[in-house]
Amino acid sequence: MAKWGMVIDLEKCVGCQACTIACGMENSRLPGEHWQDVIFFQEGEYPNTEIKWFPRPCMHCENPSCVAVCPVRATYKSEDGQVLIDWERCIGCKYCMIACPYGVRFYTEEKARYGGPDMKQVFPSDDAHSWNPPWRMPQEDWRHGVGVQPHDVVSKCTFCYHRVSKAPKGIADLDPQNPETREYTPACVVTCPTGARFFGDLANPNSEVNKQIAYKNGVRLLDHLGNKPQVYYLTGEGGSVPATRSLKKI
Amino acid sequence: MVSIKEPKDFGEVFNYLAELRREVGTAEFLRICFNLGREPSAAGAWWKFCLILGGISGAYALYMLASVGHASFNTSSDGINWGFPIAVYVFFALTSSGLTMIASLPMVFGFKQFYPIAKRCVYLAIITLIAGFSVLALELGHPFRMLWAMPTGMQVMSPMFWMGVFYLIDLVLLLIKFYLLWQGDWESGFSKFVGAASFVAVILASGMLGLVFGSVAMRPMWFGSFTSIYFMLTAALCGAAAIVVTTYMAYDFDATKMPPRLREMAQGDQLPKVFATLIGITLVMIVTRMWTGLWSNLDGLEGFHVLFKSPLFWAELLLGLVAPFWMMLQPGLQTRMAPQMTAAFLVLAGMAINRYEFIISGQVVPMFKGTWVNSLEPYFPSLTEWALGALGLAIALGGYALGEKLFELSATPQHEPEGKLANAAA
Repeated sequence: MAKWGMVIDLEKCVGCQACTIACGMENSRLPGEHWQDVIFFQEGEYPNTEIKWFPRPCMHCENPSCVAVCPVRATYKSEDGQVLIDWERCIGCKYCMIACPYGVRFYTEEKARYGGPDMKQVFPSDDAHSWNPPWRMPQEDWRHGVGVQPHDVVSKCTFCYHRVSKAPKGIADLDPQNPETREYTPACVVTCPTGARFFGDLANPNSEVNKQIAYKNGVRLLDHLGNKPQVYYLTGEGGSVPATRSLKKI
Repeated sequence: MVSIKEPKDFGEVFNYLAELRREVGTAEFLRICFNLGREPSAAGAWWKFCLILGGISGAYALYMLASVGHASFNTSSDGINWGFPIAVYVFFALTSSGLTMIASLPMVFGFKQFYPIAKRCVYLAIITLIAGFSVLALELGHPFRMLWAMPTGMQVMSPMFWMGVFYLIDLVLLLIKFYLLWQGDWESGFSKFVGAASFVAVILASGMLGLVFGSVAMRPMWFGSFTSIYFMLTAALCGAAAIVVTTYMAYDFDATKMPPRLREMAQGDQLPKVFATLIGITLVMIVTRMWTGLWSNLDGLEGFHVLFKSPLFWAELLLGLVAPFWMMLQPGLQTRMAPQMTAAFLVLAGMAINRYEFIISGQVVPMFKGTWVNSLEPYFPSLTEWALGALGLAIALGGYALGEKLFELSATPQHEPEGKLANAAA
């Protein structure tokens, strides 16, 4: 079994949000329902201030707190290490959203973000789907949280399960530069214009992700909480991982 | 005494209702149900008020949920995931737990002076739990899915799973216990066993509800075993306040209408002392929690600063706890009805605020969200959320008033003496 993981090189990330857009298009997300986001924040006080940014997908943790708290086992860890949601089991209690330290989960039935218009009203669904987007992704697999979700469930990044699950077994890296693996690689990795993202098997010592983590001192977000994310950040000299979630002073 | 003749069992209830409807016709039957007997009383007035309140708020909430869905709530994935309806659920569930704890004083721990409120406590515990569950069911995305997904999932790691299991056991035991009390079985071995089992179940249930919040290390305002203890002890306080209010309400806020034994208890200093002790414990817990929260620099505890600046918090602390605490400590006030009632109402209002601010302040610091998300999330319940709260209140109060009219809720074991007053009369 693979243990899929991602490495994000913060020195290469330019904060262009192409990953956010690619994820939204690939997975038919509502505006503002950013399974993948790049958070901009300010550090320091005038005149010694600096603007920073930080890409944040789901961490697909080794010890996911969201899985442990789900009272109906709707959220689960797949054999290949992705944290997924079974939309046919989810009762919409939102406990997983409470228990996720990274804020990467979204409830379907909410007011439109950014003040609207509400795309669910603009493109209403006449079946069990929560809405009917014009750019709807062709794949649909509710047991793995793929596609346009039904009403009243929680959704999240799947590490593009619909792509990655079709990858040849035993492969170490899903490299967007390699034509043979490109179509199996998550959309955010494929689209990254600076090649800041790497995707591969953390259980394979020869994978590129493991080499990057080892050679460039990969770190994990909020590691002290013990969730053990499978997303690593390379900070180098120019990047930094925020130590707290309250990114601005009160 | 405002209760009508207590029916023997469910069979008699349904037979009586069916016969009444046949006799007077459906329209008149509904009118009688609305008026619930012609004798004017506080319980009757509450019943009518709650029917109207529940009808309006329930209709509005259901209409909004059917037409707009849960988007009619002001909750958001960006910060406040659990809003006002969850606070209402926690308030009612813990009040129910507290009532069971108070009922356990005579029925499990042998403090027989509290027998006159035991049956009312058990009944109220059932009704408040049903009110809490009803609000929770309307808050959940797919409440009916839970019925098959929980037993087939068996996620024993989830505090919410165990909360559901223990509250379900609690409800079943309470129903059995009430049925036994209704049949006059106060002290058989089985009745005592059910009483003791109820107490254990309610400690586990309220403690597990605390762990739903206390288990999440990423929410430092909730995290820790303290939350569990806090929920159990404040549950007892809510239970004590609820039984003071409802007992007086049952007798039209007139202690002279009470049976001798109950009047003796109401005018004694024992229940006020229990009440004052529970308020004192709650005050210590709230102040120490706030103190550590304000002193610590831990990421996520900024919510305590928000809380400290909130007028609601100060209303809760000073009006909802300090004032009743002072009143219940004064020998001249603690045995009189008006101060007891005022203290109990203030405590219930204070604890309702407490549940709300506990739930909301724990989420005001958002997790890693998008660029444009506030550093502290604002929240005010929507009209639909308020309507759900009103519906919960209507179910609890209306259900209570109905019980007051149907059952002898002040009943005590028949062989128990009717108190000093009765003895003196004899």
